[in-house]
Amino acid sequence: MRPRYMKVIRDLTSDYSKNLMLVLAIAIGVFGIGSILGGYAVLSREMNANYMSTAPASATIEIDGDISSTLLDSVRTFPGIKKAERRSTIVGRMKVHERWHPILFFVIDDFEKMEISRFRHISGTKIPTEGTMLVERTALMVMGASEGDAITVRTPHGSQQTLKIGGVVHDPALAPAWQEQAGYGYITMATLKALGENSRFDLLRIQVSENEYARQHITQKAEEVADWLKQRGIEIHEIQVPSPGKHPHQSQMEAVLSIFTVFSFMILLLGSILVATSMATLMVKQVRQIGIMKTIGGSSYQISTMYFFMMLVVCVVAILVSIPLSRLAAFGFYTQIAKLLNLEITDSSIPLRVPFIQIASGILIPMIAAAIPLIRGSRVSVRAALDNYGVSTQKVNRWSTFLSRTSLFTDTYRLSLRNVFRQRSRLVLTLGLLAAGGAMFMTALNVSDAWETNLKRIYTQRLYDQEIRLNERLLPDSVFSVIEAIDGVTKVEGWDFASSSIIKDSKYEITKTYPDKGHGSFSIQALPVPTQLLNPTVVEGQWLKTAGSNEVVLNQLARTSEMTIGDDVLLAIDGKPTRWKIIGFTEDVGSPATAYVSITTFAKIAGSSGKVGMLRIAYSDRSRNNSQNKSREIDDVLEDNNIRVSASIPVWLLHNAVAAHMEVLVNSLLAMALLMAIVGTLGLTSTISMNVLERTREIGVMRAIGATPGTIKSLIVWEGITIGVLSIMIAFVVSIAFSYFMGVFIGNISFRTPLTLTISPIAIAIWVVLITVGSYFASVFPARRTNKVTTREALAYE
Amino acid sequence: MIHQQHKPLIELRNVSKAYPVASGTFMALNDVSLTIESRKLVAITGKSGSGKSTLLNIITGIDRPSTGSVTISGVKVDKLSETELASWRGKNVGVVFQFFQLLPTLTILENVMLPMDFCNTYSKKERRDKALALLEKVNIKEQAGKFPSALSGGQQQRVAIARALANDPPLLVADEPTGNLDSHTATSIFELFAELAKSGKTVIVVTHEREFSAYFEDTISIADGMVNAQISVHA
Ligand SMILES: Nc1ncnc2c1ncn2[C@@H]1O[C@H](COP(=O)(O)OP(=O)(O)O)[C@@H](O)[C@H]1O
Ligand SMILES: [Mg+2]
Repeated sequence: MRPRYMKVIRDLTSDYSKNLMLVLAIAIGVFGIGSILGGYAVLSREMNANYMSTAPASATIEIDGDISSTLLDSVRTFPGIKKAERRSTIVGRMKVHERWHPILFFVIDDFEKMEISRFRHISGTKIPTEGTMLVERTALMVMGASEGDAITVRTPHGSQQTLKIGGVVHDPALAPAWQEQAGYGYITMATLKALGENSRFDLLRIQVSENEYARQHITQKAEEVADWLKQRGIEIHEIQVPSPGKHPHQSQMEAVLSIFTVFSFMILLLGSILVATSMATLMVKQVRQIGIMKTIGGSSYQISTMYFFMMLVVCVVAILVSIPLSRLAAFGFYTQIAKLLNLEITDSSIPLRVPFIQIASGILIPMIAAAIPLIRGSRVSVRAALDNYGVSTQKVNRWSTFLSRTSLFTDTYRLSLRNVFRQRSRLVLTLGLLAAGGAMFMTALNVSDAWETNLKRIYTQRLYDQEIRLNERLLPDSVFSVIEAIDGVTKVEGWDFASSSIIKDSKYEITKTYPDKGHGSFSIQALPVPTQLLNPTVVEGQWLKTAGSNEVVLNQLARTSEMTIGDDVLLAIDGKPTRWKIIGFTEDVGSPATAYVSITTFAKIAGSSGKVGMLRIAYSDRSRNNSQNKSREIDDVLEDNNIRVSASIPVWLLHNAVAAHMEVLVNSLLAMALLMAIVGTLGLTSTISMNVLERTREIGVMRAIGATPGTIKSLIVWEGITIGVLSIMIAFVVSIAFSYFMGVFIGNISFRTPLTLTISPIAIAIWVVLITVGSYFASVFPARRTNKVTTREALAYE
Repeated sequence: MIHQQHKPLIELRNVSKAYPVASGTFMALNDVSLTIESRKLVAITGKSGSGKSTLLNIITGIDRPSTGSVTISGVKVDKLSETELASWRGKNVGVVFQFFQLLPTLTILENVMLPMDFCNTYSKKERRDKALALLEKVNIKEQAGKFPSALSGGQQQRVAIARALANDPPLLVADEPTGNLDSHTATSIFELFAELAKSGKTVIVVTHEREFSAYFEDTISIADGMVNAQISVHA
């Protein structure tokens, strides 16, 4: 090897521990990028592959009545329609550990010939016989059962029965059952009939043959089919057109992962700046060697290439270490998220572009960060490099002068302060690095705290604890008194609800609902005005105030950008348009798109005057445990009164379901915070120790004029702590801005409403401890080292 | 006479060097004109602060004159750019300093090979042998694989001389090369310089050690930035 590169390698290996820190500083960033991008690439590919493997329907037409097989055959020959299938979905209930939970029954026409919304067989039987069902794999846990077990279920019109789990399937188009806290069962029409329901297929699933990703085209085709059905006397309920080719969670996942991508590049950038400063410091330390090399014929260009080569070696080692580790982390990351989204990873290969991006960014970003100091450092003239004149001409800036005049501090501390401010550009860099690290650390924790706080709003907005949806509307009086009499029940209100949509120019109700009925749905909630069981966050206009009026309040998911207070809006009720006047907008946490109206008006339209379709009940003790006990008591009361329930949803369950949706996000944010903390501490320790080492000579002078090692130590330690504390203050201010914007972003993708800005005291506490302890140790060790050096050696140190 | 055998190698014409100081400008060199002929061992003497190092730095191009011109073997050194200077110096001037300026993380052999690497002289295979030959010449070949810190001051200075000779430059300059050495070691260094001059190099040494004056053919004595006398001793 050429001697000049030999020198680079030896310089690197001779100061092992420090250079390992440099490698680490870059490796962490490259690692972060690789883990996130690797996970991202696999997830988005597999999510798409999984979703497409189910052959999702382009549209679902929900009708009133039954789709006969002859009708279905005609639809199959309809121009522009590739495939058609009929289905039915019923929400029933299942008993798990003596408690009722919702279960979605998907009624399949022909298990042998499924062409749309398919699922993958995992084990057991492929075709369930009467009295058995196939269960989605993630639902087994919610059902507390395994293959072969019998589950007690009940459909809205049927009696309590048992169904055996005949087989297990994987349906990637469904969110994991434990996220929705519901069971998923696939049954035949015969089984549905046996459960006590009407045997009819009311869902027509179609797949268009052209432009399968164009929403407009799909809607138009679906409308054509609907027209055609209508001509044959079939009433159309609604048309569901979910985002074509997109998994229900796709846009959320992409948004979240892109934040993480930005985060990981920030980490690399900070690491690179750290390395660049170390490299610049090294060049200052080696200025005499640079002078010598120039004297014996080295040009500025040759010398700069040596230091760039040094950077390159650091980067390459960092990349070599971090690529395999990041692949492992990416594996962990995508398996976790795949589990969360119920995806099956069939191809776990990380595309080549990921290591390529890691290599490119792991080299380019540090090189760019270092370019200016390295080039400037190697352009130093021989004369200047060999000169001693530079040492005494260090500029004293205004800050230092000011600080040396003030008598606020003890002498030692004043000197520490002056040292802190002496090298202004170094200070700015150190502070910038630490503050950015701290800001990101605090932001990560703030946002996850804000997320938690927002989740708690589920409880503050909902003053009820249990929602019970009834099979049939009823006159409330008799039941109310019985339920209200239950110990611990504080309030019961009678509400009503209906699935709806906003009618625009279309003849039909067109929703974006996915087949799992949750994602993308829109509903009307009719409530007694005034209600005592809802405390909505009204962001514009006002809350419902007049019973019997046609006023409507929409939540943020129901609102579209063109709506303003005072506008009229057409909402579909039972497929028919009804006109409402918008008086307010709310921000709800954990609700789908909802329009709130007065139950008096609603009942008039629905022809159900005096009756209620849903009960909302509040308990004095809102804990999950109590809630579970109370709901069982209420179930018994309803049972005794022969009141049939279609769904019973406790608020805690809603809270947990929403929490489960974003758990990955919060955990990944915490992981980012951890990486940030590592880079931050590295930055702190290395800059402080460099600060100290650079002043070895000066320390020697101080020792020579009588400073004790103790004085010098406390001088250095106070200097480190001052830098640390300053950085914390800056980080805190910056983190508030960061947290606000992150909160807006994450809140919008998850709830369509910004998260409230939250400041996590724990984040501040951890960072303060980390930085002060870090600054203490980062300065105490080099301080001790310089104190060991004798005065004579220190003075000779160059 | 004998002068005519030696072509003038170095010519300084009215060279001045001014430094800005608090009280105005300080003339470290004041209108110096001199000629140094090739293949000689030349001493620059004078008190501390008289301008010896400044003169030497101007000859090697490390410093630029404020006014005047420097010509070495026909090359107008003061007109070269920094980059041109670096490669010109690498090939034409060997520099030895008072303190032992070896690169601490390179072995003795690598230190000597480094100038060849920078100036791309010799083929890669030859470099090692050339370097070893130079180390043999300065009597330090056995230490080739060691690091500078393992060597004594005199040994390090010999390595520095070998390194200065790496690209076989016609001119060798040394600024107080023996300032840090005991007189026995210093003697051996001056013997080495004399030998080099005999073998055809021009060697300029800054020194204020009188006892070695016998080695020098020319002595340039300066005081307060001006050349006092240029004494030639003809052997
Ligand atoms: N960069 C500089 N700035 C100001 N004065 C300088 C500088 N370099 C040298 N000098 C002054 O020039 C004079 C000559 O210096 P120098 O050539 O180093 O002397 P010598 O080597 O003979 O001891 C000295 O008085 C020194 O203080
Ligand atoms: Mg000198």
